[in-house]
Amino acid sequence: MTVTAPLETITPRAQAPWRRWLRRHGWTVGVWLLLLVLVAWYATLIPRFGSFQVASIVNNGSPWVFLAAGQAIIVIAGGIDLGVGGLLVLTNVTAARLMEGQSFEMTLVIAVGLVLVAAAINAGVGWIINVSKVPDIVITLGTLYVFQGLALAVLPNPGGGTSEGFRWIFTGSKVGIGSNPWPAMVAMAIPILAASWWLGRTRSGLSIYALGSDRDASYLSGVRAARTKVISYAVGGGFAAIAGLATTAIAGRGNANNFGGNLTLNAVAAIVLGGVALTGGVGSLIAVVPAGLILFFLSPILTAMGVDPNSAQIIQGVLIVVVMMIAGLITWRRSRTT
Amino acid sequence: MTGPDTPLLAARSVAKRYGSVVALRTVDLTVAPGEIHALLGANGAGKSTLVKILSAVFAADTGDIEVNGRPISLGKPSDALHAGIATVFQDPALIPDLSLNQNLRISGLSSADVLPWLERMDLGTIDFEHQVSDVPLAVLRLLDLARALARDPHLLMLDEITAALTTDQAEYVFDVMREWRSLDRSVLFISHRLGEVLSLCDRATILRNGTDVAHLTLKGVSEAELVTAMLGEELGEAAVAAPEIAAVVPSPSFDDRPVVLEARDLHLRDRVNGVSFELRRGEILGLTALEGQGQTELFQILSGDFRPASGELIVNGEVLNARSPYDAIRRGLVFVPADRQQALFPQRSVRENLASPMYNRFSRWFRLARDEGERVDRAVARLDIDVRAGSQAQRLSGGNQQKVTIGRWIAVGFDTVLCFDPTRGIDIQTKAQIYDLLRELAAEGSSIVMYTSELREIPLVCDRVLVLYNGRVVHEQDARTVTEETMLTAAHGLEEVSP
Repeated sequence: MTVTAPLETITPRAQAPWRRWLRRHGWTVGVWLLLLVLVAWYATLIPRFGSFQVASIVNNGSPWVFLAAGQAIIVIAGGIDLGVGGLLVLTNVTAARLMEGQSFEMTLVIAVGLVLVAAAINAGVGWIINVSKVPDIVITLGTLYVFQGLALAVLPNPGGGTSEGFRWIFTGSKVGIGSNPWPAMVAMAIPILAASWWLGRTRSGLSIYALGSDRDASYLSGVRAARTKVISYAVGGGFAAIAGLATTAIAGRGNANNFGGNLTLNAVAAIVLGGVALTGGVGSLIAVVPAGLILFFLSPILTAMGVDPNSAQIIQGVLIVVVMMIAGLITWRRSRTT
Repeated sequence: MTGPDTPLLAARSVAKRYGSVVALRTVDLTVAPGEIHALLGANGAGKSTLVKILSAVFAADTGDIEVNGRPISLGKPSDALHAGIATVFQDPALIPDLSLNQNLRISGLSSADVLPWLERMDLGTIDFEHQVSDVPLAVLRLLDLARALARDPHLLMLDEITAALTTDQAEYVFDVMREWRSLDRSVLFISHRLGEVLSLCDRATILRNGTDVAHLTLKGVSEAELVTAMLGEELGEAAVAAPEIAAVVPSPSFDDRPVVLEARDLHLRDRVNGVSFELRRGEILGLTALEGQGQTELFQILSGDFRPASGELIVNGEVLNARSPYDAIRRGLVFVPADRQQALFPQRSVRENLASPMYNRFSRWFRLARDEGERVDRAVARLDIDVRAGSQAQRLSGGNQQKVTIGRWIAVGFDTVLCFDPTRGIDIQTKAQIYDLLRELAAEGSSIVMYTSELREIPLVCDRVLVLYNGRVVHEQDARTVTEETMLTAAHGLEEVSP
């Protein structure tokens, strides 16, 4: 005979919906609050704070956000892609070269085409990882240099251009600099919200979480591991391409001397700050947005504080570690009390 | 093709090997429509391998599989589902980081598909927004079952589903199985609880060493006969007899022995509410309780994982202030968890696993203890571990893995071992070996605290028993004289006396 307990006593305790919501999305709320606090603080640091500053943060931060979102999807699926920064640079120079002197409509067609091509290329990267069984980090370290080299071949010297309308989409201004933050916000919101909905609501999106969370259990649940991995790399590559397009719109040209490795590492830092577990299965794109903006935003803040740009990097690094330690402490305390 | 005599499932000459280890030599299995068919065998006989082949988790090396007379090819799990075979695996196939709803969606189902079945199991009010990692294992097992049923399969395969369930929870599963049979569908049932098997199943296929050694109609068969068939003639009798012999060993008085472990009024949040006990040298103290009465937290305190909110733990006369299990281990207090995966390094060899606690004992110049090899050899010999698959602990059967988790403490030496459900999901032969091992260790002067949810283990193994209810000890008695009824009454909190 075995000891028994009635089922209702061992089902999880009922929680108020808002408490459960807060528990599950606490990180997201926290990162958004941190962004707001930083913006408010920044506003007190500089003599004039207005829509120009807001537009500057949103515009120039958007490539960070897009690249981090792409990386986040790949990491949630249990991979990691060091090549996304290279893909950003490659898209940036290819777009600048193809779009130079074209009409607005033509630049849009080119933009869509480049996103699809980049997604297809990165799907190929995912496929190679599946077939070769070589770890993600090794293959994508290789593709980082391949993409960077291709970018240099496409555009050896900084140059190229794009249409005024295309610059307006990502910067709210025909010359890439202005006081209208709204177009860039919309340009960020549409792909992020769409991808977020896909990840959380559809079978293929949830498969991304499943694969990264527990590979064996997802296999037994009928998730097709190989296909899901390829999809994650394709979508991640698409986001890297959007980041490259935003870079073209902001700068108005392409620059292959921009090293993609740094951009990749920024994206990794952003997703970690955004609460994505590097072990896979956990994270939200909605939290990656403020995290990407915060990381971009640290250097203007430090400049406004009068910190020497050379030591600014040290402070940036320390800040990332401190924030992660605080977050780790919260998670640890929570695991001990529930 | 489909006639009255066509079996629902016919597997012929199925074989599977991993490298040099043969998991299935050659197995034939036929399941008729409208029957509950038991698949029996000792640990390592090949039951789980066969289930995983039939559900297309991995491919057989050779063999043919037919469903309703039609040959099927199994490449990926969805092929098995299309063929009408749905499986509840030994380990829950639910994604811990997703909600229940999201888990259903990745399987292409919705809560409406499983709800009718959950209502049958009294789980109709479950909130599908719960994250899987917050839901107790027993509920997940029933949810897994509901998910398999929602596929409307011809053949339902249940691999050890009752191992994580209590009797009344298992009763829900049995009801569903009987109903499935009445619909002319079939169930392939794997369980170590032979009582269940005999009361439920119509026929049985018995595996031994990767081969089907017997096909039985279960009507009128006794538990002992099943065990004999599973283990082979002599072994079977020994396994059945061993517990009887252990039961008549009288529990001696320990009053004159030194106290090795004393708990004084331990508290932890609202889970442990003032637990006190003494453990003397050579004594086996049994602990039992319903699920969730603070036993998990108590063991976390005892093993040095958690610090109690108040109260003291005294080891060999000195207060133990453990910051981590390391401190407890250094004082000779070691822990054997129920989840063997938690304790083992699955990809390392058996020998390395046995030696792992010794890596804390670097001598001054960073050399390992000189007698490491000898200690490990002694432990291997002592435990009778099957070292065929010794290069990776994960290839061992569950029972052998459990022996390794106990054995590594034998190799390094200890005063008191804390065992949490040490025989969970282990076959009857290995169970008997583990009982013997614990008794031997105690006879040699070690002390043991053992939690178990199987009440019949208490008189077999222990000297004294404590029953926990709501984080408190509500009953204490000589384990030899205690009855299952007494313990069960106390475990339900129906008796507030502790004589």
